[in-house]
Amino acid sequence: MKKILLATAALGMLAMLPQVASAQVEATPGKPVKMVLLPKFLGILPFDQAHQGALQAQKELQNTTELQYLGPTPENSVAGQIEIVTTAKTQGVGVIMISNNSGDQIVPSAKAAHDAGIKVVTWDSPIPSGEGEDVFVAQVDFTETGKVMADMALSIMGAEGGKFAVLSASPDAANQNSWIAAMETALKDPKYAKLQQVGLVYGNDQSEASYNQALALVDKYPGIKLIMAPTSVGIVAAAKAMQDEGLCNKIKVSGLGVPTEMLAYTKNGCAPEFALWSFVDLGYLTYYTSYLLATNAIKAEAGQSFKAGRLGTYTITKDPTRKAGLRVLMGPFSKYNIDNVEAASK
Amino acid sequence: MTALLGRARSWEGLLLAVLLVIAAVNVMYSPYYLGIGNIVNLFQLSIEKIIVVLVMTLIIVNGEIDLSVASVMGLSACVMAWLFQMGVAMPWAMLAALAAGVVAGLINGFWVAYVGLPSLAVTLAGLIGYRGVARILVEDRAIGGYPLWFNRFGQQPLLGPLTVSIVIFLVLFAVVAVVLHRSALGRLVYVIGNNLQAARYSGVRVRRVKLALFVASSVVAALAGLLYAARLGSVRGDMAQGFELDIITIVLLGGVSIFGGSGNLAGVGLSILVILNLRNGMGLANITGNTQTSVIGALLILSVLAPNMAQAIESKLKGRET
Repeated sequence: MKKILLATAALGMLAMLPQVASAQVEATPGKPVKMVLLPKFLGILPFDQAHQGALQAQKELQNTTELQYLGPTPENSVAGQIEIVTTAKTQGVGVIMISNNSGDQIVPSAKAAHDAGIKVVTWDSPIPSGEGEDVFVAQVDFTETGKVMADMALSIMGAEGGKFAVLSASPDAANQNSWIAAMETALKDPKYAKLQQVGLVYGNDQSEASYNQALALVDKYPGIKLIMAPTSVGIVAAAKAMQDEGLCNKIKVSGLGVPTEMLAYTKNGCAPEFALWSFVDLGYLTYYTSYLLATNAIKAEAGQSFKAGRLGTYTITKDPTRKAGLRVLMGPFSKYNIDNVEAASK
Repeated sequence: MTALLGRARSWEGLLLAVLLVIAAVNVMYSPYYLGIGNIVNLFQLSIEKIIVVLVMTLIIVNGEIDLSVASVMGLSACVMAWLFQMGVAMPWAMLAALAAGVVAGLINGFWVAYVGLPSLAVTLAGLIGYRGVARILVEDRAIGGYPLWFNRFGQQPLLGPLTVSIVIFLVLFAVVAVVLHRSALGRLVYVIGNNLQAARYSGVRVRRVKLALFVASSVVAALAGLLYAARLGSVRGDMAQGFELDIITIVLLGGVSIFGGSGNLAGVGLSILVILNLRNGMGLANITGNTQTSVIGALLILSVLAPNMAQAIESKLKGRET
């Protein structure tokens, strides 16, 4: 049985060779590939959106094998992810798509799966060492995140500029820290000369703590015109705090947020503009990349280009944010304001 | 009274029946269940927890509880990782980790046995305190890059398909079985668990027994922490967080009374198999974490309720007779 499988795989690869050589590979629909989508944990809106995107791709690619959407509970995230990866290996699935929440602790199980011939694709959050991973589907570039935040600050505060403060997640949240650093770099551009960042506080991605920190910012830095929160929890909490205190005329809120959660605050003017990448698209692109890898239509190597349905063409490159590992960069950001927030939150 | 004895005896029978049902369903559900690789994984994925379960059985039979075990696992792994990163040779780092276990056990045991504080409070403080130290040592980093032999220690098969951790579990199971059921110390553990005052008045060295048990608990937890670190190949401050609940669940499901004095290792062994096979089966059937947790939670509630309800019904019936 194994030999037959190998032979078919080899034949499949041969058949694909001419296409690999061309610049763009398109997927051949209708192949049955067992796929597992593994979020950091269940019950978080953005991950459910990624699941929706993956299901869209599955429909387009006519993969009749049911997509398994499996996740651990938040309290058991590390051991749970390892358990799911190990079980997937036992079940002999074709590809595992992981939003890694276990740092390098996932490596032994990911490697074991990879050694058994299973494709391991990470999305949203990669395996830091890149070991046991074929490719990482990244949402946006960190540098761009900084620029987008600076641009939103400028557009909200206007040409006269002013003071603003940042409400982040936790002091050791790697994503937020690099985004804020990228924003500080972007702010050095003379274009943003009148914008002045005065404070940085942490709400630890908890609603109540973020709410209180937002209010503390108002007391601590009188005259600020904007709170920038690059976290989907913090931005909602800050917007609610400004709304509850009736401060929305003086202090606006912006940052990274989920349209559904931000709809009310964009409509009432507390958060006129915010941004986020589309998790639906991220799930869609991850599914496409994984399907192409599992059907041997593409190889996980730098320079490989492929077409991912409605999203267009992507190329696998070396991941500049890690020492080792490959990356597919989705980008760009979606910016939301009163014109498009309603459509996006459906 | 006879009915009560009969029920106690049949608790293991009940677990065995449950186990057989679970195994049968798993066989029907998944073609992968009976594979050697899966059986090894089934143990391997929870091996550190079930190693600690063995000593926790002694503690609970003794009428105490140790909530700090998972934090000691984390502390041990973090001590090892911290020293390794500072350039200490691996064997010494591992030894220091076990020594941290001894210290934690002495602290727990001192307050419980010699000061007389309730173990629930003492080890709850331990749960918070030892985890705190672990987090301070490693901060918000992941420390990895250990020598290959250390990683193999957690992952590589030793005897046939059995890994080092599984062999350690089997040996420890035999040791605990002998201690609990065939030794003088084992009898003392039961006597103290049954009636602390009576044990004291009849000259049992209660304090020594309790101290020894708490040290054993922490040392084994420290060992389990090292095995976990070896299996994962990298250490974080939140390692093994929350494991104490799974560990205590297995012991209680095994028919060990939370009030001490009763229960046996056969029941705990069966309980281990029930939980592991249940989890594995649900995993192979692609049932997600939330549902798995609820099912195991329901099982625990039943295991605690069933004996009490049986007792209540029994005494009511007796009341009618007289």
